Amino acid sequence: MERAEKINIGVWREPRVGTRTHVNARAFAAILIGSACVSAALATWLPLQVSIVSVFLFAGPHNWFEARYFLTRLPARFGRSRNFFMVAFSGIGLLTLAYILLPALYYANIWSGANWPNAIAGWNTLMILWIGALVLMRGRQKANRDWFWVLPVAFALCALNWLAPELFSLAIVYVHPLVALWFLDRHLRRTKPEWLKTYRRCLAVLPLLLAGILWQLSRTPSLADDNGLFWRITQHAGADLLPNISSHLLVSTHLFLEMLHYGVWIAALPLIGATGAIWRVKSIPIASHSRGFPKLIGVFLICGLVAVAALWFGFSANYTLTRDVYFAVAMAHVLAEAPFLLRMI
Amino acid sequence: MKRTLILTLAVCALLASAIFAFADIPRPKSTPVQGKTILYSGLTVTSDPKGYEARLQISQGTLKHLQEAAANSGDGGSMVQRVMHSSTRTIMAGTFMFLAISFAGIWFARSAERRNNKAIAAVFLVAIVFGLATVIVRANAGPPGYIRWQTLPQSLLDGKETAGGVQIELVPGDDNMKLIIPLRKTKGPGEE
Repeated sequence: MERAEKINIGVWREPRVGTRTHVNARAFAAILIGSACVSAALATWLPLQVSIVSVFLFAGPHNWFEARYFLTRLPARFGRSRNFFMVAFSGIGLLTLAYILLPALYYANIWSGANWPNAIAGWNTLMILWIGALVLMRGRQKANRDWFWVLPVAFALCALNWLAPELFSLAIVYVHPLVALWFLDRHLRRTKPEWLKTYRRCLAVLPLLLAGILWQLSRTPSLADDNGLFWRITQHAGADLLPNISSHLLVSTHLFLEMLHYGVWIAALPLIGATGAIWRVKSIPIASHSRGFPKLIGVFLICGLVAVAALWFGFSANYTLTRDVYFAVAMAHVLAEAPFLLRMI
Repeated sequence: MKRTLILTLAVCALLASAIFAFADIPRPKSTPVQGKTILYSGLTVTSDPKGYEARLQISQGTLKHLQEAAANSGDGGSMVQRVMHSSTRTIMAGTFMFLAISFAGIWFARSAERRNNKAIAAVFLVAIVFGLATVIVRANAGPPGYIRWQTLPQSLLDGKETAGGVQIELVPGDDNMKLIIPLRKTKGPGEE
């Protein structure tokens, strides 16, 4: 058991010489702030166009990077975390399946869509309770920590969810991109603590940029969602649920957060050597361990690359349909972030 | 074990008491049948000095949304109305609120021995901030829809367009379409 725990710790050591970054903290801060400002400017200027392009380019690759990162965080032997991972993977699988089934049943004319808010509320409740269970299980693994408070918080969230399920789901859409920033924070804390202070100062720019977007766009007219694709993008950002707020503001804000999300997974974490050299399967503990699965992991990553290419092909052939399918299936990566983030706390 | 059993029984008894509480709710007042809002969209009103008939232009996209909304209008009403009238969701929300408060109490009692005053102060501070934020957010809520329609009479006289939000309602019967504009009476200069 101890051996298994030690294997996991090894992942957090300083990156090897080959993957060590030569960027200093100031350059890192400049890149972060510069990227955030450019993202905000693009999201404000051409929200619909940039949204289409960014999803096309980065949706698939960021999922691949995320999957690879999670594989790196996965211990070779679960040891005393076996139950935690069992609950985590079961939850990811079942919740994703349920999330995909809801629209699938509707489009297959098996379900009329009646009581849609209740179905959404039920799904959200299961997700909250699942995360609550994971937090409690993680809390038990940590000495001197009482995480019992998560229960009242989880139930309070469930109550809010039942009052306004659609708004709660919309809140998840907006909060999810920010989780990537939390991952970056936790990773810097362990691998580059000298950068952490700088990074957290950089985060202070985020509310300023959001306030700037709000100030700039709050009085602008809503975007013309006169075709199916534009309509889907504005609906995804909550234009239907918040009719008194300009859809330009909603789409820009969501796009800005999404671009930060993509930036963290595709640029920031690889930049600080979080995932190791991406082509080196041996840098993944579950592959490099003597009783690991290097071939399986290698095949998994190659299949991931094929899926990314297939996604690009799908976007080229039928962007709207592929976008719908992607955002339904991508719920898996949203859910997967919860257990792996908890492992880092 | 005994304590858990007693606690469980107490929780069950409290939940069961909800039935009696529910029985005390007064009978709802009967109200005339109202139209059900099925879609929120935008509307532009303009005049045509050369036209002979009033025309209603609906884009294909809006018509499609309208058809979908009409097809799915089983539980119609605006979001607020749906929350107000959805007994399932109200019951579920109430149950989870009850559980939240109950478990918060248990946590508070559990942590009494090693109570961290800073943590409690932080919780109260967060609660106060949320309360204040709620007040501020409500105070800063966007202007009501009728504001956009206030310039309609003058715009019609000037031949200009006026755009604003519109709720599309389904009403029983086969009457003509009716457009209800929320115009408020404005006091002229010198009027009291």
